[in-house]
Amino acid sequence: MYRYNDFDRTFVHQRAAQFRDQLGRRLVGSLGEEEFRALRLQNGWYVQRHAPMLRVAVPYGELHSRQLRALARIAREFDGKAGGPYEERGGGFGHFTTRQNCQFNWIALEDAADVMDLLADVDMHGIQTSGNCIRNITSDCFAGVAADETVDPRPYCEILRQWSTLHPEFAFLPRKFKIAVSGADEDRAATAWHDIGLQLKKNDQGDVGFEVRVGGGMGRTPIVGTVIRDFLPWREILVFIEAVVRVYNRYGRRDNIYKARIKILVKAEGQKFIDAVEAEFQNILERDVDGLAHLVTDAELARVSAGFGLPEGVAAVDVEGDHAPCSKPAAYQRWLERNVHAHRLPGYRAVTLSLKRAGQPPGDASAEQMELAAELAERFSASELRVSHDQNLVLPWVRASALPALWQAAREAGFATPNIGLLTDMIACPGGDLCALANARSIPIAAALTERFADLDELHDIGDIDLHISGCINSCGHHHSGHIGILGVDKDGMEWYQVSLGGADGSTLSGASVAGKVIGPSFAADEVADVIEAVIETYRGQRTSASERFIQTVRRIGLPPFKAAADAVRGTTAVHA
Amino acid sequence: MNLGLRFLDAASTTAADLVLANDTDVESIAGTLDGVSSIALEFPKWVDGRAYSQARLLRSRYRFRGEIRATGEVVADMVPLLVRTGFDAVVLRIGEDRSVAERALSFFPDGYYQADVGEPLPRFRRADSGRDDLR
Repeated sequence: MYRYNDFDRTFVHQRAAQFRDQLGRRLVGSLGEEEFRALRLQNGWYVQRHAPMLRVAVPYGELHSRQLRALARIAREFDGKAGGPYEERGGGFGHFTTRQNCQFNWIALEDAADVMDLLADVDMHGIQTSGNCIRNITSDCFAGVAADETVDPRPYCEILRQWSTLHPEFAFLPRKFKIAVSGADEDRAATAWHDIGLQLKKNDQGDVGFEVRVGGGMGRTPIVGTVIRDFLPWREILVFIEAVVRVYNRYGRRDNIYKARIKILVKAEGQKFIDAVEAEFQNILERDVDGLAHLVTDAELARVSAGFGLPEGVAAVDVEGDHAPCSKPAAYQRWLERNVHAHRLPGYRAVTLSLKRAGQPPGDASAEQMELAAELAERFSASELRVSHDQNLVLPWVRASALPALWQAAREAGFATPNIGLLTDMIACPGGDLCALANARSIPIAAALTERFADLDELHDIGDIDLHISGCINSCGHHHSGHIGILGVDKDGMEWYQVSLGGADGSTLSGASVAGKVIGPSFAADEVADVIEAVIETYRGQRTSASERFIQTVRRIGLPPFKAAADAVRGTTAVHA
Repeated sequence: MNLGLRFLDAASTTAADLVLANDTDVESIAGTLDGVSSIALEFPKWVDGRAYSQARLLRSRYRFRGEIRATGEVVADMVPLLVRTGFDAVVLRIGEDRSVAERALSFFPDGYYQADVGEPLPRFRRADSGRDDLR
C-alpha cells in the first residue's frame, strides 16, 4: 500500500481541522446551510432522507486492516449511537459502494468533526467523495495482484489522487467528475462509464502509457466514453487531465444539472472538444509559467511505487500448496470456483469475501463483520484488503496453501457465499430506504431476489450474470450496465421498476460497454422477482448449451422472447401492459 | 508569484480597468492587457468555478501582473482557492466575515500537493518535499 509520509498525514489532519471550523460555524448559525452544503459535500457529508450520510474515501479501493477496524469503530460508536438522535433507527454498519467507498447512514452531524479526526488518525478522509469536483479515483480491485495485469495502476492512481486533492481551480466544476484506472486485460473498473477512463498499457518499446477515454457516464443519458488518445506517455498524465478538466470547467453546461456532465459536452462538440483539449494541452506545456512542472518525474514515480511492492512476508512460493481439493466438500469446490481468483504471484490467490447474502443489503457490513474481515486480512492477507466495484471485499495476498483454513474462517464469519459473479452477487444502491434522491427502494428488491434465487445449484446453473439495481436515474447501482438492469421510478408517489436487458460494463464476458434496453412498461414492486425469474427461465430454455451465458443468449435472440415472458407474469400491471 | 490578498470594501472601491464575465474567453482580451492595471472577475454564484480558470490563465499563461479582483457572490471559504488561482484582491459578499476569510487561509501552512499561481512547483518537485519518506 501507499505509505503516508508526514506531509500526507498532516494534510488530512489539517483538512479535518478546516472541516471542524466550518461545521462549528454552521452549528452556531454563522454559516448558512446553502454555503455549508458545498463545503460538507467536498468532505463526504450528505444530508439524506432521515439523517446525514458520510462517504469515506477508499482511494482505488485499497484498505489496511487497521483502517477497516477504524471504519468498524465508527460504525459501532457513531452510526446510530446510543443516546444519539438516530438510536432507534439501528445503524452500526457501513455500506461499500461501486466506487469503492464506504458510507455510513446514521451519524449525527454534531459528531462529524470527531469522526473526521478518527479517520485522519488512520490516514483516511472524505475529501472530494461528493460535490462537483474530481472524485475519489477508482481502480481494479485486483490491481497489483491480477494475473492478467500489464501495468500496476496503483502508483498512477496515487499520483492522480494527490494531484486532484484540493486542486484550487477544479473545486467547483459544472458537475461531479469521476476517474477510473485499469492496468489489466479485463476491465474490472467499468472505465468506459467514467468521465475519464484510463487504460494503462505498454507500447512496442515497452514504454508505459494511457489510453484515455473521456465522456462516459450513466444517469439520464447513458454514454460510453470516447477514446481521445490511444497512447499518452505516463509522464504527461497530469498535464493532459488538467487540459481535459480545464476545457470542461470553462465550457461545460451549468444551466441544466442534467446536461452538466462532461459527457454532454463531448457529445455536443465531438471533434471540436478533442481539438480543444489537445490545444490546451500544448498551451500548458509550451506557454504556461509552470507548464512543465507537472510532468511526473522518475523520482516521484519511484517514491510512490515504493509502497506498492510485495507486503512484508509475501514472496512467491513454488509449491501450489496442499489444499487437496478432492478431499473437500462440494461447497469448498464451489467457493474455489467462484470466490478464489488467479494471482500474478506463484502460490498465491486473491479471495473475495462475499457481502451478498440473505438478510443483509448488498455491500453492507456491520461493525462486527468489518472487524472479522480485518481479522481475516491480518491472518491471511498481509493485513491488506480491497473494496471491489461489485461491492465486495477482497483479500489480495492469500497463500494457496491457506485456502482451506481461510474457507473455514470465512464461512464462520459469513463471507463465504460462493456466489461471486452470479445472480445474487448483484450491485445495488441504498435506494429509497435511505437516499433522499431515490424514487424507489432498492433493498427490498435485492432481498426478494436473493430469497428467490437462494438455491445454489440453480444459481450456478444460471452462471455468470450481472444484475444491477438503481433506486433512481442517478444510476448509483449502475443499472444501465447490468445484463439485467432494474431501475426504480416514481409515478404518482408509487414505486415502480423498469427492467432493462443487455447492458455491459466492458468486461470480456459482457462485451463492449453499452446501456441495456428497457423491456416494456414498469413493473410493480411485487412483480419484480417473478419477472426476473421469467427472464431467467427464458434464458435457460433458449440457451444453446450450458456454457452459453445469459448475456450471450440475449444478444443472440434479442429482447422479444424475454419481454413476452415478463409480460406473461404481470399481475398488478397486467392491464397497463 | 507571491501574492497577498487585499480585502476591498465594496462601497469605497473604484471600478477595475476591465470587468470580465465568467464566460468570456481570456484569450480574446489577452492581446489588450497593456496598460490594464486591474481586472475584475465575477462569481455570479459562488459555486460557479469558471473564474478560477480565467485567473489562472491570466497569471500563468498571459503573465498578467496587475490586480485580479474577485467580485460577485464571494464567500469567506473561497479565499484559499482565490489566492491559489491568482486573485490578489477580493470584494467579499455583503455579510461575509473578513476574519473568517483570513482564518480560512491558515489551515494548510505546509502547502498543497499541486503547483498553483503562488507556488510554481508541485510538491514532488520542491526541495523541501521530504524525501525522507523514501527511507
